Amino acid sequence: MYGWIWRHLPGNAWVKALISLLLALAVVYVLFQYVFPWAEPLLPFNDVTVNNQ
Amino acid sequence: MGVTTDQDEQTEVPGSDSPSMPRRRGRGRIATAVSVFGELLITAGLVLGLFVVYSLWWTNVLADRKADRQGAQVRHHWASATPDSGPGALDTGDGIGFLHVPAMGNGDVLVEKGTSTDVLNDGVAGYYTDPVKATLPMTGKTGNFALAAHRDGHGAKFHNIDKLQMGDPIVFETRDNWYVYKVFAILPQTSKYNVDVLTSVPKQAGVRKRGHYITLTTCTPVFTSEYRYIVWGELVRVDKVDSKRTPPKELT
Repeated sequence: MYGWIWRHLPGNAWVKALISLLLALAVVYVLFQYVFPWAEPLLPFNDVTVNNQ
Repeated sequence: MGVTTDQDEQTEVPGSDSPSMPRRRGRGRIATAVSVFGELLITAGLVLGLFVVYSLWWTNVLADRKADRQGAQVRHHWASATPDSGPGALDTGDGIGFLHVPAMGNGDVLVEKGTSTDVLNDGVAGYYTDPVKATLPMTGKTGNFALAAHRDGHGAKFHNIDKLQMGDPIVFETRDNWYVYKVFAILPQTSKYNVDVLTSVPKQAGVRKRGHYITLTTCTPVFTSEYRYIVWGELVRVDKVDSKRTPPKELT
């Protein structure tokens, strides 16, 4: 999977490394900005109130 | 990877590749599947690790930033309001005051209305409106000022709730008053459905008559939401805020 991505990136090794880094950062951004905020309320780690439900 | 081995073996035995080809291609496919599966597992591990970083660090960064901004807004509001604006003090729009708990060692915690995730995720403590309506101290009525805040992540304002001991002060600061409470009961673990801890006379804290109580609730043990940790305090004194906003002796 990662090998496939590496082979399909353009340029020499340095350019590939740079693009890979940018891709990784983009993935982290999407996770922190959209995926984790969505997933968090679904997981039982952060309910602090007492309630009837 | 699978492709190169196939090619290598083909060059070693030229011409005789046709009978063994399907088997080799099958092995290559399995090898590819295993390696993709392995990479997916590594990816999943990294994502879970990032989620821990997100919930224990990043949400704190965001929440503290937001709480600081909102807190500054409230203080600005107080400073700009004229002393004779009277009952306008009960301004629930952007926070009603600040909670100071020296034992928790985390400065002042803004208190806002409601205990929904939206409110609490801003790094503030919220007073209950549901299932039990909290009695606000500035109304002067007897009752229970019940609050909730996060134990971990989103500001983690009640992270050190277990550091509170009997007799420790809890101070609530409003525009006009310092309400000084003293801890008189602690329930280290209770069910999350135990709404009786919030009642205006919290019998589980061992009291029978009406009074001015404060209740702090958060989750326990740390990093989970299995149970709730409850701390009760009773009002001992109300100090008027002076022109320099000198804190009561409990905070110095």
